[in-house]
Amino acid sequence: MHPNLSFEQAPPVSVPYRFFLTAPLFGVAAGLLLVWLGESAVASRWSGGALALTHLLAVGFMLQAMTGAVMQFVPVAAGGNVWRPGLVANLIHPALAIGAGMLVAAFLVHESVLFRLAGAILLTTVGFLVVVVGAALLRTPARGATILSMRIAVFGLAVTALLGATLAEGLAGDASWPLVELANVHAGWGLGGWALMLLAGVSYYVVPMFQLTPAYPAVLSRWLAPILLVTLLLWSVQLGGQSPAWQQWVWRAGLAVGAGFAGVTLWLQQRRRRRVSDPTLLFFRGAMVCMIGLLLSAVVMTLVPSVAEHPRLPYWLGVLALPGVFVSAINGMLYKIVPFLNWLHLQRLMGIGMLPPNMKEMIAERAMVAQMRVHFAAVIFLLAGAIMPEIARVAGLVFAISCAMLGRNLIQAARFFRNFRDRIRAAAPNPAP
Amino acid sequence: MPRVIDGRELQPPEPLELALMALDTLPDDEELTMLLYCQPHPLFDILRRNGYRWTETVQDDGTHEICIRKA
Repeated sequence: MHPNLSFEQAPPVSVPYRFFLTAPLFGVAAGLLLVWLGESAVASRWSGGALALTHLLAVGFMLQAMTGAVMQFVPVAAGGNVWRPGLVANLIHPALAIGAGMLVAAFLVHESVLFRLAGAILLTTVGFLVVVVGAALLRTPARGATILSMRIAVFGLAVTALLGATLAEGLAGDASWPLVELANVHAGWGLGGWALMLLAGVSYYVVPMFQLTPAYPAVLSRWLAPILLVTLLLWSVQLGGQSPAWQQWVWRAGLAVGAGFAGVTLWLQQRRRRRVSDPTLLFFRGAMVCMIGLLLSAVVMTLVPSVAEHPRLPYWLGVLALPGVFVSAINGMLYKIVPFLNWLHLQRLMGIGMLPPNMKEMIAERAMVAQMRVHFAAVIFLLAGAIMPEIARVAGLVFAISCAMLGRNLIQAARFFRNFRDRIRAAAPNPAP
Repeated sequence: MPRVIDGRELQPPEPLELALMALDTLPDDEELTMLLYCQPHPLFDILRRNGYRWTETVQDDGTHEICIRKA
């Protein structure tokens, strides 16, 4: 047993929960923005509306939820001692929300000051997060595929933020940087170097534990992160200002790595030891299908050049990657993590010999299933928007409803925790701190 | 007589729930054995705070065998 790995190091439950409860608000905002913008948002990757939507999901939804997960996961599962998690969360949580809001506003109104402010806030905030979490991950004596993936993921987040701030400065002024290439590399590091790397690292740990699957094959968990890192470094060559022809194969290779991870995850789910399906498992399955969908899209693009040149292709790929893969996976993960944290923290207050309520009482299964159906309906509507742009507004509305339902379910769990904690404290003569 | 909880087919926190119930009635001279596919860090924390000691061995199939008794 490793003496430093312990729930004793877990931060107060308010640390992750503030991030988890904020993320769905940005999802609702993204859906409503699509309702407002309609067809114009799906017409081009480079429209202000499309970029605002992308960052509402990537910085508003994903980065919030993933920061909360990292603040919880690093101390408990990776044995890393995060410096003053309460103070760090107090600083990072509002700064991420303000930075995301400002960036979205900058894309919508094309205001230089907003780009500069958003770039500075997000770079400073993410830089602080990277230093605090990175130090904890470097100092932990724990080893393994999860630690390696998380270390590279935090590095990927730093690169993403640095490139993003550079882009914001470029959009604010008249810099002669290669903005298209910068944006390509920024997106690659954000989706592959940060989001996929973190998802894989956390999955090695939580998929076998919560979904009762066999462990990921060692060859995959050992090599996925280094291969993805090399792929991203090759992808970054275009920062020189030219995109060599072989680069077209680099992003396809990156998608193949992601699809490989997704295929193995689906295979493991098929071999799970107890044939029980719950929303987390189904959310993960949907996310992995979308990840494979990205690779299949790349194959079609290769075989049918007219598809590759279609103006709404980037929108299609963006929907598969953001709502399809990452929002689905995060959504599913939240439905397992939040009740589990409720249970653990309540048990800590109750002491031995008493059990907290069953996890299934924390969020009603029926409510999770209903939200999951609306979420996947939203993904299908959003994808259909690439073929029939006139339904973009309906897709946005369904997505906003799904995120609102997610927020309601998470608030229900947080209220459950608070009410039960208060009852334990009221009943105990000398309550635990 | 040794008590054994096989938590390998159970979803968290079910193994922890069974362990807490078993520990509540575990006589001082008896041992509780848990079989799991992972290290139960939250359980270790509970054991530490409540005066239990434990040994852990990892079997070839990845099973963690944790033997717990009162310190």
